[in-house]
Amino acid sequence: MHRQRGLFKFTQHTGLEDHHYARMTRREFLAIFAAGATSSITQTQQLGGMASRGVRPQPRGKPSGLPFHAHFTDVAYHAGLRAPVVYGPPDRMDYIIESMGCGVAFLDYDNDGWLDIFLLSGTRREGPVEGATNRLYKNNRDGTFTDVTTKAGLVRQGWACGVSVGDYNNDGFEDLFITGWPQNILYRNNGDGTFTDVTEVAGLLHPGKRWGTGCTWVDYDRDGRLDLFVSNYLDFDFDKIPPTGKDPNCNFKGVPVNCGPRGLFPERPMLYHNDGDGTFTDVTARSGVGAAAPEFGLAVVAADLDGDGWQDIYVACDSTPSLLFHNRGDGTFSEQGLQSGLAVNEDGNEQAGMGIAIGDFDTDGRLDALKTHFAEDTVALYRNIGHLVFDDVTLRSGLGVETRYVGWGDGIVDLDNDGLPDLFWVTGSTFPEVQRKHPEYAHKTPRVLFRNLGGSRFEELLNAAGEAIAEAHSSRGVAFGDFDNDGDLDILIMNMNEPPSLLRNDVRGGGHWLKVKLVGTRSNTSAIGAVVTAMYGGRRQAQAVLASSGYLSCGDRRLHFGLGTATTADLEIAWPSGVHESVKGLRANQLVTVKEGVGVVGRERFGL
Amino acid sequence: MTQIVAALLVIAVGISQGQLQRPGVEAHISRGVQLMQDQLFEAASGEFEQALALNPEDPRARLQFAVCLLSLGRNDEARRQFEQVRKLAGESRYVTYYLGRLDLLSNDYASAIRRLGSVAEDPPFPDTVFYLGVAYISSGDVAEGTKWLERAAQLLPRDYRVHYRLARAYSSAGREQKASREYDLYSQLRDEHKNTEKDVRACSSALRTEPLATAREVCHRIYDPNDPEKLTLLGQLFGDAGAFAEALEPLRQAVQLDPNSFEAWHNLGVSYFRLQRYGEARAPLEKAAALRPEFYGSVVLLGATLYMLGEDDAALPVLEHAHRLNPNDTETTAVLEKLRAGRKKE
Repeated sequence: MHRQRGLFKFTQHTGLEDHHYARMTRREFLAIFAAGATSSITQTQQLGGMASRGVRPQPRGKPSGLPFHAHFTDVAYHAGLRAPVVYGPPDRMDYIIESMGCGVAFLDYDNDGWLDIFLLSGTRREGPVEGATNRLYKNNRDGTFTDVTTKAGLVRQGWACGVSVGDYNNDGFEDLFITGWPQNILYRNNGDGTFTDVTEVAGLLHPGKRWGTGCTWVDYDRDGRLDLFVSNYLDFDFDKIPPTGKDPNCNFKGVPVNCGPRGLFPERPMLYHNDGDGTFTDVTARSGVGAAAPEFGLAVVAADLDGDGWQDIYVACDSTPSLLFHNRGDGTFSEQGLQSGLAVNEDGNEQAGMGIAIGDFDTDGRLDALKTHFAEDTVALYRNIGHLVFDDVTLRSGLGVETRYVGWGDGIVDLDNDGLPDLFWVTGSTFPEVQRKHPEYAHKTPRVLFRNLGGSRFEELLNAAGEAIAEAHSSRGVAFGDFDNDGDLDILIMNMNEPPSLLRNDVRGGGHWLKVKLVGTRSNTSAIGAVVTAMYGGRRQAQAVLASSGYLSCGDRRLHFGLGTATTADLEIAWPSGVHESVKGLRANQLVTVKEGVGVVGRERFGL
Repeated sequence: MTQIVAALLVIAVGISQGQLQRPGVEAHISRGVQLMQDQLFEAASGEFEQALALNPEDPRARLQFAVCLLSLGRNDEARRQFEQVRKLAGESRYVTYYLGRLDLLSNDYASAIRRLGSVAEDPPFPDTVFYLGVAYISSGDVAEGTKWLERAAQLLPRDYRVHYRLARAYSSAGREQKASREYDLYSQLRDEHKNTEKDVRACSSALRTEPLATAREVCHRIYDPNDPEKLTLLGQLFGDAGAFAEALEPLRQAVQLDPNSFEAWHNLGVSYFRLQRYGEARAPLEKAAALRPEFYGSVVLLGATLYMLGEDDAALPVLEHAHRLNPNDTETTAVLEKLRAGRKKE
């Protein structure tokens, strides 16, 4: 009895009951529970939220000391972009839909040669918010914009997510497709400054509620008409999913947060064929797209990644393997994510795919990819080595130093006109509640910029590109384009429950540039899907005309090549129709317009 | 990482044999090890720093500190500490392994190949050849990299990373059939992980909310008589829910399949202990304490078991060891005093 009492007291006070069950040790089971904390804590992380892989940053090397010639200033307020983008409550996110935000677009809706701005918007569950709407801003050509939403017929409040810009009816004016919950919308551009919602007429109104996220126009069958690919995230309904605090499994770092995507039901993407009469047919099953396993699909990019002349489609998936639909050229696709190396990272781990950028960071003439992920993980930089095979070169390229933030919209873009595409992405937490307990997991976080050092190496610039880069916001979509036509790339950013940011780029240093606008004839007029390879200064850089990029967004359709010290460039153009053309000896610092089968039809020098 | 920690402890004990420690060093190391077990590396590194402040020549503390720094991504500092360990304790294949991995992380593939290659025939950890294969692949030598990855696949047949890398290597060499087989293996292992994750979630939830009979049925989905890790996990889930009798069988099977699993032995010992079957608790706890001599939880429980069995002479040195590992445990101190007083009376 004495020993019994002694034992009871002994074990009770040493706390053996609490901690003596040793943790699992094998890597395999650590993987189940995720790395980064004790097993019991990480287990609930995995159960409730997005994948935080607990990856620690690589050490930063010595700064190169090289000057960076791009400088960014947020001019949104001055430009007239003052309305906040409402998206759920500002200080908490009870449902996953309130945390995902939406995209933005640069487009020239009135064909005046100046980029206009289209901003998507969310709403709040409690009811409509006054003034919250998708917004179209017309470029006044003086650094300011005018809100023309009402005049354009685009007033609409809801849970909008993604936007893709393209001329689906080949009438010369860019149309808008918008994804969202519970329905998607197609707006036809009437060519007179107004738009008409033609979703139902076009056959794009789907039954029931779906959460469309990424979307892109893509002429997958090379008939000269833009078809439509839509990724769907998960089966969502406010009435079906417990809000924050109701399910103990839904927590992050011990703080109750919104549930998902893990534990919720993923959805399949969809493909619609453009029938050429203003209507679309659902060809998801027939095309093979429907054969892929359902995943938590977000951003979508369509481009000819293997150079076979047919558009492939890459879908970033959140916490599940990303998808690569290889176009077989016969109207069908085969899912080749794993085989291509684009589904997972180099260790075979799936990541929380958010945004996708396509570009040629190593200027070898092939399109590479950059995918953003959750915090405590790196982005993934995939180098295209040909034949639809990609190498994960993230760590080798020096990108492993940054793991602090949740990454969203991104770009492989030459921001300083030195001829080497840089990497940029925006960030922001999905769980504003967490920072109250863990200040290191801030809701608003800075933008991330890695400058290209050449040799497939990158260096993160923390303070060298202007205060606007270091400013903290909870951002989602991002679009790149030259809104002030001064020969560099500016950046448009969606900020949750704040006005957008418009980062005006003022490049110094004298780097040359060339802009290329394509007009399709046999191809779709927007030339979406074309690949232009520019040869300059011994480099060979490929860029694709995209209808969607980054996170649920769409950028300037005019391709921008920084040329560095080169004063001329040659172009090879692979049109989506299959036609190939070359243009030689183009002088730097101009916008050239190339018409399919005709050649250069316009030259405009600006920014000098 | 904790598997490596366990191995490190054994190595560290080997390195430190014959060396006298100042008071407090062991306690800091023990606390540091516990914190590493919980993956609280910042806090753990502080403990090792305190141990090193007391005795800068202690290679155990320095080795643990170096591993901690590596886990924290402080690679340059980690490298310096590993070099120090080498100076203190001489050449060690474990240190070579870590330096090789640091080389790999800093993209110095030639050095990584040299270091990891030098210990590949007698690898300190099963994943040594995996990293060697990765180093070769990264350096562009796909053929040699493939060779080592194939070896890694034999040593770590259930490691999906190995199969994925191997599939990629085959694919880049145009060996599509082999690539396809490895992709299938990779996918199968990943699916198993996902299914296990779901099963663990269901089991955990059932143990929390359902009667044991119902929960047992749900948890049985995790049961795999051929997989010691799943068996250990199942035992752990039962144990965490206080269902110690249920935990016994899977844990007994786990230790048979993997006699070097510290977790399985420890948890089996704990289960017996909590069921007051002290005679049966003794052997598993002895095994656990032998595998992880600096893990306070096992040592103190072994001392308590011996004490409960009335084997005070055997309990005394074990509890004294536990006390050195955690001098702040007043209960251990009290029991020790009682035992020492009893001895004096005799």
